[in-house]
Amino acid sequence: MRISRRGFLVVGASLPLAGFAGKVMGQTSSGSSGKGGNLTIGLSSYPPNLQPWVNAGSAAGTMAALIHRGLLSFSADGQIQGELAESWERDGDTGWVFHLRQAKFQNGSPVRAEDIKWNLEQVADAKSTAYMRSQFQGVERIETPDERTVRLIMKQPTVAVPDWLATYFMPMVAPGTLSRDSFAVGAGPFKLKKLERGVSIDLEAFEGFYKPGMPKFETVRVVAYPDENLRVAALQSGDVDLIDYVPWAAMSQIEQDKNLRLDTTLGPYMYLTFNGRTGPFADARVRRAVALAIKRDDIVQSAFFGRGAPLEGLPLQEGTPYYDAARAHGWRRDLDAAKALLAEAGLSGGFSCTLLSTAQYGMHKNTAEVVQQNLADLNIVVNLHMPDWATRVALGNRGQYEFAVNGTAMESTDPDNLSSVLDDTAAPSFIRSTGITVPGLSALLHQGRAEFDTKKRRAIYAKVEDLVLQQAPFVGLAWRSQGYAMKANLQGFTNIPGPLSFYSATTLENASLA
Amino acid sequence: MEWFVKRLGISVLLVWLVATIVFLAIYLVPGDPAELLLSQGGAAPDPAIVEDLRDQLGLNRPVLEQYLHSMAGLLRGDLGYSMMDGAPIAGEIATRLPRTLELIGAAALISVLVGVSTGTLAAVGAGGAFDRIASALAGLGLAVPVFVVGTVAILVFAQSLRLVPAGGFVPFSQDPAQHLILLLMPAGTIAVGLSATMFRVTRSAVLEVTLRDYVRTARAKGLSFRRILTRHILRNALIPVVTVLALNLGTLLGGTVLVEYVFNWPGLSGLLVDAVNGRDYPAVVGVVLVISILFVTLNFVVDVLYAVLDPRVRHG
Repeated sequence: MRISRRGFLVVGASLPLAGFAGKVMGQTSSGSSGKGGNLTIGLSSYPPNLQPWVNAGSAAGTMAALIHRGLLSFSADGQIQGELAESWERDGDTGWVFHLRQAKFQNGSPVRAEDIKWNLEQVADAKSTAYMRSQFQGVERIETPDERTVRLIMKQPTVAVPDWLATYFMPMVAPGTLSRDSFAVGAGPFKLKKLERGVSIDLEAFEGFYKPGMPKFETVRVVAYPDENLRVAALQSGDVDLIDYVPWAAMSQIEQDKNLRLDTTLGPYMYLTFNGRTGPFADARVRRAVALAIKRDDIVQSAFFGRGAPLEGLPLQEGTPYYDAARAHGWRRDLDAAKALLAEAGLSGGFSCTLLSTAQYGMHKNTAEVVQQNLADLNIVVNLHMPDWATRVALGNRGQYEFAVNGTAMESTDPDNLSSVLDDTAAPSFIRSTGITVPGLSALLHQGRAEFDTKKRRAIYAKVEDLVLQQAPFVGLAWRSQGYAMKANLQGFTNIPGPLSFYSATTLENASLA
Repeated sequence: MEWFVKRLGISVLLVWLVATIVFLAIYLVPGDPAELLLSQGGAAPDPAIVEDLRDQLGLNRPVLEQYLHSMAGLLRGDLGYSMMDGAPIAGEIATRLPRTLELIGAAALISVLVGVSTGTLAAVGAGGAFDRIASALAGLGLAVPVFVVGTVAILVFAQSLRLVPAGGFVPFSQDPAQHLILLLMPAGTIAVGLSATMFRVTRSAVLEVTLRDYVRTARAKGLSFRRILTRHILRNALIPVVTVLALNLGTLLGGTVLVEYVFNWPGLSGLLVDAVNGRDYPAVVGVVLVISILFVTLNFVVDVLYAVLDPRVRHG
């Protein structure tokens, strides 16, 4: 028997604690092969809470994808697939019917149509803090003709209902299991076993999960590693099997390691928002000039170590029906055109302004610095204001800025998600511009949400794209690569492409260590 | 007795002042816990939902009312609940504080063992090869930032040699050996700078005491060098060493944040940083309050230690 160096040290340290050495040997190697093994995940943060329906960030979303299931989900190739609902269909202009499969919650009670109705009512409740509250307040009524059928009648035709129900913001939990400490019993592949607040969460396989042979892992341990370098080190040293948010600087190194595998996708993106109430950015020509002056390749290099792509239009994914190659490059750098626009606006001599970003996150800071340098070409003197993230969010929400850097990802590939960054009739938010109204834009977005015909929708979103390219209430900067890294023998886990990357933990139900 | 009561009164006043200043400071800086919690992942929450959450968290009440509520809670020993997930703050501090104290304690132990012994040896052989090499290493130890030491330690011991895990935490009750192994690197990292400080203070104190009259007298009496060193030199030289150690330990109470972060050690500093970033008001006030109480207590303990080490303090 060979004793590893680490094992030797462990035994050495254990000598004063005789009796523990045997237990400790091999503890740091997290995975074991085959069915019934253990998986250790290194997450970029500890979830702020595990409350269902609330948007508490991607770490909480990953936990939801492990513990809960909703009516639908996103498959490994990004398509909407049935979960608690084995099938679904439209019912007239405003209706949707979901046919439930035989499934159980983790407390053993069956999943019935009444339970789904209860969940949807909780989300839409007037005092709910659910992320999808306003969306599901668009439900006129919910009918449960039998134990396995749910009929959802919306007030308006709404094409995005399946998308909403596939997100991890819409888990279905067992009624009556919501407690003060915000946990709830779900119907997902893993159930909560133990948690060490701020440190780790231990899950165990739910034997009654409705998919035969799943989950394959017996236990999943999720450990928070907020320091990105330590997260990578933990993977390289074998402490964990899978990490999220792979730092861009470490991607090459991981690719060269034959024991590891990197899975990346272009999903999230960086962009600029403007305050159009006063100042130079009230003029669309100035905003467009800014859009045309940015060297987006520099942002990709500076902020993402080359792991990204220029975003020269709206964040519509290539390969989807709504992608248009010409419009996608509508803001390709053209300094002469940018200067002409500024001259037209009477600002050929340039001006001075302040760009809001945050020093708390490198990608926000680096992006702002590139924008600052690029706008110097237009004689625009940009001062950087980079407070901590909390302050930056507050200033953005109050509209106390001139223009700002932000980063986000769409919640699904459906273009309706553009509304969150474009709809000028929505409440003020740091994620969209302030005080800029583009005539017709909001109406087009509402029209797109209610239109089921793909061809007609394509025409609607082409108009949206044209309006945005002209008026620039939003200026795309760069796609960024979103990566997971894992041991080479981890099978069955997929980084779901595009903005759906954050839902990838759903695929862990079918993952195992070879 | 009167001195003790007066000192205690000042300490209580100090703690109240700290709690008030922290409460006001965290409320004055921009950023709203409800807004932040619901804006995770770059989302735009419905303002009505934010308002509902603010109501639930009591943030819509006047600041004075919130302050009085908070202070009344503190008087009862109730530090409130986290605005992030509703966890009791007192419980969270009770879990995290021992981890930070353990980290500081282990670092102090290593530093005293390394710093005092090498400092004494260097002073005894002042000007010699050991003194020069040790002084140069101490300079290096003081100059290199703690996060650099930590990162290099991870690179060498975890990633290259694979001797220890890269970081993390396992409760002692769950796995004592693994717990100690995980403690080794963060404690060692803090100890690099602290050992260097201990070395320098010990070396200069020993050198200074060696020149004192009572040491010369002891030599003249024909006492052995070992006896002079342990009974006369070190005992007197340790007073400044203890002072400097206590000051450093006090600073470390809230200052282990970089090491906790680099090694994923879930202590009090990490909790404070997370609380400030998330504008978790009760957690910020609670943690700072506990740190200030500990700081005040530590200073008191140091005074007592002076008395133990130097009879003149005890009797004067």
